[in-house]
Amino acid sequence: MSLFAALSVSASGLAAQRTRAELLAENLANAETTRTPAGGPYRRKDAVFSSEPVSSAFSSVFAAELDGSLAGVRVAEIVEDTREPERRYLPGHPDADAEGYVAFPRINPAEDMVDLMGAVRGYQANVAAVSAVKDMIHRSIELLR
Amino acid sequence: MLEAVALALERYMDLLAARQKLVASNLANADTPGYRTRDIDFQREFRNLIQGGSPQVIEVAGLPVKNDGNNVSVDREARLLAENALRFNLASNLLRAEIRMVRAAIQEGRQA
Repeated sequence: MSLFAALSVSASGLAAQRTRAELLAENLANAETTRTPAGGPYRRKDAVFSSEPVSSAFSSVFAAELDGSLAGVRVAEIVEDTREPERRYLPGHPDADAEGYVAFPRINPAEDMVDLMGAVRGYQANVAAVSAVKDMIHRSIELLR
Repeated sequence: MLEAVALALERYMDLLAARQKLVASNLANADTPGYRTRDIDFQREFRNLIQGGSPQVIEVAGLPVKNDGNNVSVDREARLLAENALRFNLASNLLRAEIRMVRAAIQEGRQA
């Protein structure tokens, strides 16, 4: 029964929350971006999490343990906002259409900031799990002294 | 002499490790839609494990479910995380004392 599996689970959680935080930072940075390589304004991105069995180097040997119910997390997909962009009347703007409207990303900074706090809390919880498990592993090693 | 207590302590630590892994898994999935909190029935599994079974994972009932179908309570997991680490700490110290006693016996015997 290896505690190291718990470390890989927490690591997957750290990676997923970091991806989420990165996307939120990207959204905030691009809240006013009207041009993208794909054309049109920037579209809000969001990470979709899904749980999946963790895989470690020894997993094939000890697969039977706990019936493989140990679930890590991964970013299953990154979805783009499909809502219509927000239209603002700015006739002088270089990206304005014939009627003088400019398409802006539909991003609410307050919403993204709150979500970012959630991502940070999630990251912290996983860090706490890593340090608790690490402490347990240390204790086991100390038995040999 | 080492057998009886040490074996029980070893099983206890095994079970704590298994539980800690589930806590880590729950925390990692705290934001995964549809994920349900998993745990083991510690008392029952400890009795089983002494008799040589392997732990059974259950879904925890009675936790409030969020809008996305997820019912992980970070507070509950944080409490269990700390509790498991402390219990493990205690068990490892006890086991170390046991080992120290056996070692002392061996060394004293050598001197005589």
